[in-house]
Amino acid sequence: MPEFNDASLILALTEKLRENQSWAGETHLQKAMYVLNRVLGVQIPFDFVLYKHGPFSFDLRDEIGWMRSSGFLEWEVRSNYYGPSLKPGQLSSILKKQFPDQPARHSNEIDFVATRFAGKNVASLERLTTAIYVMFDEHTPSIERTARIHSLKPHISIPEADAALREADGLVQAAKIRFGRAAHA
Amino acid sequence: MSNRTHEFRDPIHSFIKLDTEERALVNSRPFQRLRYIHQLALSYLVYPGATHRRFEHSLGVMDVSSRIYDVVTDPENLYHDSIRELVPRRSSTYEWSYWRRVLRMAALCHDTGHLPFSHAAEAALLPNGTHHEHLSKYIILSDEMKPVFSQLKIKPEDVAKIAVGPKYCEENFSDWESILYEMIGGNVFGADRIDFLLRDSYHSGVAYGRFDHNRLIETMRILPREDQETQEPELGITRGGLQAAESLLWARYFIYTQLYFHPIRRIYDIHLKEFLEKWLDGGHFSTDLEHHLRMTDNEVMSAINLASVTAASSAHDAACRITERNHFRVLYEVNPNDQKINLSSVQLVFEAAKQEFGDEAVRRDSYASPPASEDFPVRLRDGMIASSLTMSKTFSDGQGPAFQVDSVFVSPDGKEKAKKWLDAKKSIIIGEGA
Repeated sequence: MPEFNDASLILALTEKLRENQSWAGETHLQKAMYVLNRVLGVQIPFDFVLYKHGPFSFDLRDEIGWMRSSGFLEWEVRSNYYGPSLKPGQLSSILKKQFPDQPARHSNEIDFVATRFAGKNVASLERLTTAIYVMFDEHTPSIERTARIHSLKPHISIPEADAALREADGLVQAAKIRFGRAAHA
Repeated sequence: MSNRTHEFRDPIHSFIKLDTEERALVNSRPFQRLRYIHQLALSYLVYPGATHRRFEHSLGVMDVSSRIYDVVTDPENLYHDSIRELVPRRSSTYEWSYWRRVLRMAALCHDTGHLPFSHAAEAALLPNGTHHEHLSKYIILSDEMKPVFSQLKIKPEDVAKIAVGPKYCEENFSDWESILYEMIGGNVFGADRIDFLLRDSYHSGVAYGRFDHNRLIETMRILPREDQETQEPELGITRGGLQAAESLLWARYFIYTQLYFHPIRRIYDIHLKEFLEKWLDGGHFSTDLEHHLRMTDNEVMSAINLASVTAASSAHDAACRITERNHFRVLYEVNPNDQKINLSSVQLVFEAAKQEFGDEAVRRDSYASPPASEDFPVRLRDGMIASSLTMSKTFSDGQGPAFQVDSVFVSPDGKEKAKKWLDAKKSIIIGEGA
């Protein structure tokens, strides 16, 4: 059974993503949670594997589904074609009120990720987080990383993979400066 | 000359066909074991017809998955260059046929790791972090199965990947492998889901579980997620299949609420788990493959019957709950009104009831089912690709189906007393924790 504390953290991240003009779809939330854990060291009970659009957690997918069926999150269709956004649901205020600890403890990290995810679409998040996956989960040597990204996700071109690696490096450095640490760096 | 094609009669799919090499896998010990694993555990104590087994379900998954494969790899259904590059051409017979066979055999093997009585309390009865999918993988890669796969001319490693998927297979999946896995285990409309909904509905008599799976399969396509501005491929449908997909979602909702989450079925899972914890060495099933292959529902049911007539057995009480249908009764269930007061209302009632009536007289059943991911690509008539959630109110309004149970049960002897107690104390119990 999912934990209300984890749900409260996910809700806070969703709200902060929206505040920063992120589309805040399910993929945005998946990738933001991944960065929160891998780059900033926030402990979450979700394992990630390389799957849909980069690092993906089946457990987190289930948690988000449970949050929707529990009224903590809901879909918001904002376009005729583009996938929907997530927004706080009818019972979200109760969740926030009764389980405030996790969001309060990690508010700076949530801010950091949400600010940097502003305006990013699924394709750019896929490139960035696949680069982080190659660096931190696979520990691929620097010289092989570009080719590795392209082999894992053939629709990401070599120049795109290169740019994603530079962006990932920048993100890790910014995390070090801001928090004095980067979880797996 | 002997016949190379063999058929099973099946109540859901009429005839399921396989060739001689594939039949060798069906005849293997791990697959034959599935004849003795009930698909729905002890549900037959509530729905007498629900006595079907994993054996016929796995044959059904093989049949449906190969039908999906044939549709989505049909050259006429490959609309995009990126997808044409991904899918093996039918003209290059070897590669296309190789993956078709891998898919079919993965479908056959995907449930071989199931414990007796299927899902019942798997998490508590296997060592930490082990799931039945891990056992399925070990079986596929075992020495016992090597000659079978050698005869089939396919790699067991490929079969294992497609059978258990990325969550339980510690390897990266290519786009093509991900698509093959989705054909079996996909959360939206994989062959596993299609078959178990239809089959469980048929055998239990819960008629709402039916939907137009033939239409759904015919409209399946591999589509790039252009609606999300990426070329990553996913299993989706054409616009014409949307209503069939909607009806699958509703079928799932009905069958979960009517059958899988039936409170008596759920409490029997708990009584069965309690019996097994007392009966098994160390309270766990062994992950040794030989032990696993020898253990079926038959062995467990014999032990339940014996314990139920052996008063000295530590498992006597749990066994009698099953054989005498003397199961615990629902005292309290999660509900939105109480949740508005306190989200932890069920936990609070559970703790208070244990304090009042003792640990032995109270049980809690708390479970949230993985929801269907309703977001998949839909190809419109003008060739554009859209998210299913923008195309269908059934999907985007999908707040409705709450796939969770959270209940407190009490011993049948104390039910009336407990109900009176809860009526008098509930507001204090829930209010105190707010």
